[in-house]
Amino acid sequence: MPGPVKLLEIRGLRTWFELEEGTARAVDGVDLDVREGEVLGLVGESGCGKSVTALSILNLIPAPPGRIVSGEILFRGRDLLKLSRPELRAVRGGDIAMVFQEPMTSLNPVFTVGWQIEEAIRFHQGVGDRRELAARGVRLMGKLGIPDPERRRGAYPHELSGGMRQRVMIAMALACSPALLIADEPTTALDATLQAEILELMLRAKAESGDAAILLITHDLAVVAETCGRVAVMYAGRIQELADADPLFREPLHPYTRGLLDSLPRPGTGKGTRLRAIPGTVPRSLSWPSGCRFQTRCPLAQDRCRRVEPELAEVRPGRRVRCHLVGPEGRA
Amino acid sequence: MHGMTRYFLRRLLLIPPTFLCITFLVYAALRLVPGGPIEQAEFQIRLAMMEEGGGGGLMDRSGELQIPESAMRELQRYYRLDRSIPVGYLHWLGGILRLDFGRSYVHGEPVLGVLAARLPVSLYFGLIGYLAAWVLCIPLGVLKAVRHRSAFDTWTSVLVFLGHAVPGFVACLLLLVLFGGGSWWDLVPLGGFRSEGWEQLGPAARALDQLRHTWVPVAGYLVGGFAAMTMLQKNSLLENLGADYVRTAFAKGLSEGRVIFVHALRNSLIPVFANIGNALGLLFAGSFLIEKTCNIPGMGLLGYEAVIQRDYPVILGTLVFLVLIRLAGNILSDAAWALLDPRVRFEG
Ligand SMILES: Nc1ncnc2c1ncn2[C@@H]1O[C@H](COP(=O)(O)OP(=O)(O)O)[C@@H](O)[C@H]1O
Ligand SMILES: [Mg+2]
Repeated sequence: MPGPVKLLEIRGLRTWFELEEGTARAVDGVDLDVREGEVLGLVGESGCGKSVTALSILNLIPAPPGRIVSGEILFRGRDLLKLSRPELRAVRGGDIAMVFQEPMTSLNPVFTVGWQIEEAIRFHQGVGDRRELAARGVRLMGKLGIPDPERRRGAYPHELSGGMRQRVMIAMALACSPALLIADEPTTALDATLQAEILELMLRAKAESGDAAILLITHDLAVVAETCGRVAVMYAGRIQELADADPLFREPLHPYTRGLLDSLPRPGTGKGTRLRAIPGTVPRSLSWPSGCRFQTRCPLAQDRCRRVEPELAEVRPGRRVRCHLVGPEGRA
Repeated sequence: MHGMTRYFLRRLLLIPPTFLCITFLVYAALRLVPGGPIEQAEFQIRLAMMEEGGGGGLMDRSGELQIPESAMRELQRYYRLDRSIPVGYLHWLGGILRLDFGRSYVHGEPVLGVLAARLPVSLYFGLIGYLAAWVLCIPLGVLKAVRHRSAFDTWTSVLVFLGHAVPGFVACLLLLVLFGGGSWWDLVPLGGFRSEGWEQLGPAARALDQLRHTWVPVAGYLVGGFAAMTMLQKNSLLENLGADYVRTAFAKGLSEGRVIFVHALRNSLIPVFANIGNALGLLFAGSFLIEKTCNIPGMGLLGYEAVIQRDYPVILGTLVFLVLIRLAGNILSDAAWALLDPRVRFEG
């Protein structure tokens, strides 16, 4: 069986912010790849560097204070960090599209949602015909389950609910049939009841518009369990564990992954059960802990963990873990 | 659109009460404050008699001025001060409604005629100053935002704030001293609206002459609001450039130019245009010092002189124009705002 085709390969990515208090090493050596057509989850608590990783892919880091210090981001073999401006523009919204967390503020308040969806088509595919643009806008909105798209096309963002706006954002991202869709907490700002519905729509729309790969960023493992084929767990600016979803949920290897799973409400247990949250909080990116970055909160931390940072080692085929205590046989 | 129409109707309906309030307050204040036209007349007469050294029949034994009862009543009727304040106000108002603004005490002509002679001059300078402010401040603010923290941004900020510290009329004075043919350059006339004999000039010479008289006062008008407007535009654009929707626009693959000038600029203009009417009112109201410095026979100067000379009908007439311009300016502001910002609803 030939190996899966790598669409995006991130190698040794470091994205830092030069702040007055010092250098925030938000992303500090990330290796990750996304395969054609897959849904890859990127999980971790807030402040772990997930958004910065996503923004780095499209070179959207605000500079200053941000800077991509080193690394490669290969998209179909081309390093996105070395593209000229016009080449980069063609990739943004064309090959790789992005959906942001804040549906309330991520759309331009003074243009209609139809205009904003169609703008991407106009610029990437050179479609100038108004009627064709309108038809494509309406079709996209319909795909995302927006009722009465002909009328909604002329609505301004403030006239739509948060859920509708996020559907517009997704429609806009899928407008040019990208090969990769990066969705940064696309449902976090929405009602719990809406989340599943929007994710479902996103997956269906992706399948219908050229089977884009999706990098789904979330701090919610429950979302990952429902949607992703593979999962990358990020902590303190680095990937800590990378695995197919099923084995990861069945047997989490990294103590951080286990901690995240333990803090999930489990189906079957009653409402009253106390969740076991990971003690402490994510350290600040201005000064990561020495040794393993999770050692300050890890229940299993040993002397070695405090001194030497472990490698992201392949402990089983297709499974990588960054922990001294995990060997090829499983947990130490 | 329905709510909008209602909103503007209500704004229009609010004009008459606002107008009545302001004019009544000023009318009453004029009547109550000492130093009115009769006292001024008394003062003039006393001055004249002291120069003549004679007593005439108007001086009583203690040397006090005694105006006979009948003459006093005659004076009061001439100045229309023989009625109580409310009745006098109603009479004045009735006149306004028939476009009869009364007669100027000083000029002896109908006030409307005096105003009509001055209005074009004020409009000319006011509107040019106003347009110049927009044409200069908005692009400058935009450029400063786009090149935030560059050398260009820093230097223009220094200049803008230096200008801000100088009152408009002082700027005019400086310009006249420098360029008015004193010890330095002789580039502009020393004030005035047009040169004498302007009517006899050819069309090109007329335009040139008008232009030579224009730029000093306009510079004066500009200096006042320039800093505020430029910085408002700059900060507004900067704020929008950091907004989430701008990141979305970049993520879509749009060029920097399109993101700035289509997506962010339109949003950044909202607060600036909401200021449109305010600026218009300020230009007309704040101009008398400039008109005085540059010797321009405009409304500001007219109002100023009328206050000094207690020329009540002219004061009130000028006030009517200023209030109307101000109220129209407010509506203009709201209209511009509603035009630019689809979120504006104007309910409640
Ligand atoms: N624009 C910015 N300016 C300064 N620091 C930033 C900026 N964006 C992100 N960071 C830093 O990067 C760290 C990681 O942020 P982020 O990637 O947004 O985390 P998350 O995993 O929650 O998406 C933050 O804790 C912050 O210190
Ligand atoms: Mg984030």
